[in-house]
Amino acid sequence: MKNYFKRLIFGPIDLIKGLIVTFRNLITPAITLQYPTQKQAMTQRYRGLIDLYPVKCIMCSQCVKICPTNCLALTHKEGPDKKKELESFKYKMELCCFCGLCAQVCPTAALYMNKIYEIATSNRKELEINLLNPDKYAEWAHPTVR
Amino acid sequence: MVTLSSLIVMVLVVSAVLGFISASAMFLIWWERKVSAHIQTRFGPMRVGWHGVLQPIADAIKLLCKEDIVPVGVDKWVWWLAPFFVTVPAVMAFVAIPFGKNLIVQDLNLGILYIIAITSTGIFGIFMAGWGSNNKYSLLGGMRSAAQIISYEIPLLISIITVLLFSGSLSMQKIVTAQAKYWFILNPSLFVAFFVYIISATAEVNRAPFDLPEAESELVAGFHTEYSGMKFAMFFIAEYTNMFTISAIAATLFLGGWRGPLLPGPVWFLIKTYTIIFVLMWVRWTFPRVRVDQLMGFAWKVLTPISLVNLIIAGWFILK
Repeated sequence: MKNYFKRLIFGPIDLIKGLIVTFRNLITPAITLQYPTQKQAMTQRYRGLIDLYPVKCIMCSQCVKICPTNCLALTHKEGPDKKKELESFKYKMELCCFCGLCAQVCPTAALYMNKIYEIATSNRKELEINLLNPDKYAEWAHPTVR
Repeated sequence: MVTLSSLIVMVLVVSAVLGFISASAMFLIWWERKVSAHIQTRFGPMRVGWHGVLQPIADAIKLLCKEDIVPVGVDKWVWWLAPFFVTVPAVMAFVAIPFGKNLIVQDLNLGILYIIAITSTGIFGIFMAGWGSNNKYSLLGGMRSAAQIISYEIPLLISIITVLLFSGSLSMQKIVTAQAKYWFILNPSLFVAFFVYIISATAEVNRAPFDLPEAESELVAGFHTEYSGMKFAMFFIAEYTNMFTISAIAATLFLGGWRGPLLPGPVWFLIKTYTIIFVLMWVRWTFPRVRVDQLMGFAWKVLTPISLVNLIIAGWFILK
């Protein structure tokens, strides 16, 4: 009986505490980001799509050798001043596992991973990327807002 | 003898009431989703219209277009009639709710008794839905609902009787007039009665934390598990209409009804009613659901004794 009155008097205090917590939540602004219009900034070391500074590349092919899925392929030719010159640098995104080994092994940091994460395409051919093309990610960096 | 003019008036009044009920239910559905979302620091519906205000209309269109599935083995008549038995009493209660000084469909001289009697018949519909569905979850939901409503009706009625001791009338308008000097909630005895009323009314309309008849984690969706499309929508509308009704009764009995300074009567009435509805939503999104034994224990061991003691004290004060 003593317990009964104790619970009757002190029970509502806990209920009010709970109500205060939810009311505080109610008046704090929502933490949700409205996705297509608002986007979260990616972390500093986010591993997005592979990207290349063509000037920095020394064509050592270490990235091609270390790639566990063989998604990178580069060819080079002799330039007019008898120096090696990049001919093509292909990146098959459908094979890439985003491990980041290529960027890690690159001695001149020519290869790096950017912060693009909206990488869905409607066509398989779009997944084969020519890394020498400067506008290769132009469409993906600013996807259409629906 | 029904004349043509009185018939026209009747049709107009009924359409106004039905229009208000559907608009109110839609608003409440949107509001509930918004309140629940913001309590969980989310946004809730945002895409359909400004801050998702048109979301209930989109939901209603979806429900209207849905296939009306009749499960095998249902008790056809009982199953078909159940949504109507739930919705009709919810709508009928609006006859005696005073929205303003003259804004009442019919000021019955036993208005509050009528409302309590008519809303209690909604349990038939819930039990019919549970029985007719031929589904163990539905049946359990219906049984729980019956047990719950019978238990909570007692403290609810006793707390209303406490109000009637002070008002001296069963008519809703006269109860409002009796609060000309002060709102009944300011009276200590009626302050207790107000809380007993709100708690038992929450249980009456099967809302969380007393939503055992439709406890998702135990009974799928309880008594309306087998219903889809417009029949489900009728249960939904009835739930929100009942919520409006109990809040309107609380506003009338304890908060002075349509009385208030400056603003016109109906505005005061709606402000008070929607404030109570907000509190009910707030409570729903704060507390976890009670167990069945806790539910019954709370009704019989806590609410009923408190309301009885409260009634005796109130009577003693009046007689003194």
